[in-house]
Amino acid sequence: MPGIDSELVFKDYPRMSGNQSQPADISESLYQKQKKIYPRQVSGLFAMWRTIAAVTLLGIYYGVPWLQWGDRQAVLLDLPERKFYIFGMTFWPQDFFWFAMILAIAAFTLFFFTTLAGRLWCGYACPQTVWTEAFLWIERKIEGDRSKQMKLDKSPWNLQKIRIKAAKHFVWIVFAAYTGVTFVGYFTPITGMWGKITAFELGPWETFWVFFYSFATWGNAGFMREQVCMFMCPYARFQSAMFDKDTLVISYDKARGEPRGSRKRGSDYKEKGLGDCIDCTMCVQVCPTGIDIRRGLQANCIACAACIDVCDDVMDKVGYSKGLIRYTTENALEGKPVHILRPRVFVYASLLIAIMSGVVWGISTRIPLELDVIRDRNTLYRETMEGLIENVYTLKILNMDEVEHEYDLAVSGIEGMKMTLTRDRILIPAGEVAELPLWLRVDPYDLKKRSTMIKFHLTARDNPRLTAVEEGRFLGPTNSGR
Amino acid sequence: MTDSQQETPRIQRIIAILWPSFLTAGLATGLFFTAFDPNVLLMDTPFAELSRLGAYTIGFFLFWALTMTSCLLTCYFQRPCVFGDQLDS
Repeated sequence: MPGIDSELVFKDYPRMSGNQSQPADISESLYQKQKKIYPRQVSGLFAMWRTIAAVTLLGIYYGVPWLQWGDRQAVLLDLPERKFYIFGMTFWPQDFFWFAMILAIAAFTLFFFTTLAGRLWCGYACPQTVWTEAFLWIERKIEGDRSKQMKLDKSPWNLQKIRIKAAKHFVWIVFAAYTGVTFVGYFTPITGMWGKITAFELGPWETFWVFFYSFATWGNAGFMREQVCMFMCPYARFQSAMFDKDTLVISYDKARGEPRGSRKRGSDYKEKGLGDCIDCTMCVQVCPTGIDIRRGLQANCIACAACIDVCDDVMDKVGYSKGLIRYTTENALEGKPVHILRPRVFVYASLLIAIMSGVVWGISTRIPLELDVIRDRNTLYRETMEGLIENVYTLKILNMDEVEHEYDLAVSGIEGMKMTLTRDRILIPAGEVAELPLWLRVDPYDLKKRSTMIKFHLTARDNPRLTAVEEGRFLGPTNSGR
Repeated sequence: MTDSQQETPRIQRIIAILWPSFLTAGLATGLFFTAFDPNVLLMDTPFAELSRLGAYTIGFFLFWALTMTSCLLTCYFQRPCVFGDQLDS
C-alpha cells in the first residue's frame, strides 16, 4: 500500500509528548526520564462502552475455564495430554494446520476492523488495556483520584504512605495471582486446582507458570502500562499500514478549535479571534498514554476515546457544541466525501470469508482417524519355512473421534498377500492410540520388484467415512529368475 | 555512546532484546513440541522422569536463551563502527 499513512497520520512518532501541565515526576531508573502518567478518570459514552467491554472480557477470561462440556472442561488446551478440547471438538498435534488457520482468521479479523474503524482493538479489547483499566480502578479506589495520587507520590515516605502503597500492591498481587491461576487453568484442569494450591500440592511446573503469569500481569498492568503499547506491541507498529484516509480515527478538529486559548465565560471569543478550544488540557490529563491529541494523531494513541468523552463534557459546560474531538476520518475532516465500502475493505472481507469457510469446511469434514505404518528396521525381509517372503510392520492407529470404533484392515498392492495380526479385532477407545504388529507374507513368484508399493486401508466398521489409507513398501529378494 | 543510542530510551533497548526473543521462543516452543512429544524424545535419557509440562517449560527457556542471544548479538553489531579512514574527519 502506498505510504500515505505513516507520514500523514503519524507525525509524532516515536517522541513522547508528555503532559506539560503535569509536574515532572521523573524516575531515572529503567524508564529513563519517562514521566509517570496519571490518567484522570473520565465518564461518558465511550467510557461506558470501555467499561462494558472490560467487564465482559474479564468475565470471559475468568469464567471460561469453569465451563463444562459433558464430563470435561469445555475449553482446555491440555498440554500435558497433548490434546486441545474446544467445546465439542478435540484437536490433536496432527490438527496443527487447523489451529494455525484459526489464528490466521483472528489476524484477518483484526486487519478488517482496523481498516474500517482504526484501533478499536487497542482501546476496547486488548488485554493490556483491559487489565490496565482494572489495575487503574483498584489504584483509584485505594489511592484516590489523580490529584491525590500525584500528591501521594510527591509526599515523603511516612507510615500513611506506606500503608496506602502496601494496600494497593496487596490487592494488585491478589488480583494478579488469581489471573495467573486462571491462566494455568486453561492448560491443566482448573477444577481441583484450588484444592491443590491450598494444600501446596500443585505440581512444580504449574506453580512456576502461575507465578510467571501473575508477575507478568502485575508488571504489565501495574507498571509498564502505556510503554507496552509503545515499545512492545507489534500491532501498534504496523497498524498504520492498514489505515487510509477513510479509516475511523479519533481526531481534534483543528479548523474549529484553533487558535486555542482561555476566555471569560460568555465573552465573544470569536471576536477575539479564538477557536472553540478553551485550552483546558483535560484531553491531555485523561490520556492513558500521555499524548496531546491536538498535535495530530500519533502512533501511541490507543484510540480509547477518553479525550472525546472529557472534551464533550467541557463543551457542554461552556455551552459549545460537542465533537471538537471526535471519531472521524481524514477525508471527513478535510470536507471530502467518506467511503466506507472501498476496495481494501472488500479484499480483507473476502479473504476473511474465504479462510473462514475453508476452516469450517475442513474441520467439519476432517476424518478423526490417523494411521502410521512403520517398517521393522532390523530386517528387510525374512523367508519363512513355507518359502514365503515375510515383512514386519508396526501399525500406529490413532482414534481421534469422541467414541470407540472397531476397524477393519486391508492391505493391497501384491496379489495373494497374507496378513497376520496379534489380535482378532482392532477395537480402539475414543482418543486412544494403539500400536499393533503386522506380518505380511507373499509368495516370491508374485514379487515383481525388490521393493513394491503397498497400501494399508483402515476403515471403521460402523462408519465407512472413517477411512485412512497409508502407503508402505514391501521388500523382497531380487528375482533374477525372471 | 553514540547519539542514536542516547535517543533510544533504555527501556526500548532492553525490550528489543527480551521481547522479540520471548515471542519467537514461544512460537518455536509451540512448533517444536507440536512435532515432537517430549516423552518420546526423552525416553532413553536421564530425563525420562520429567513431565511433559516440565519439558515444555525447560524447552521454552532454552529457546528463549537462544533467541535472546541472537537479539543481543543483533543489537551489539548494530552499533556503528568507526573505521580507520573515518577517524580523520
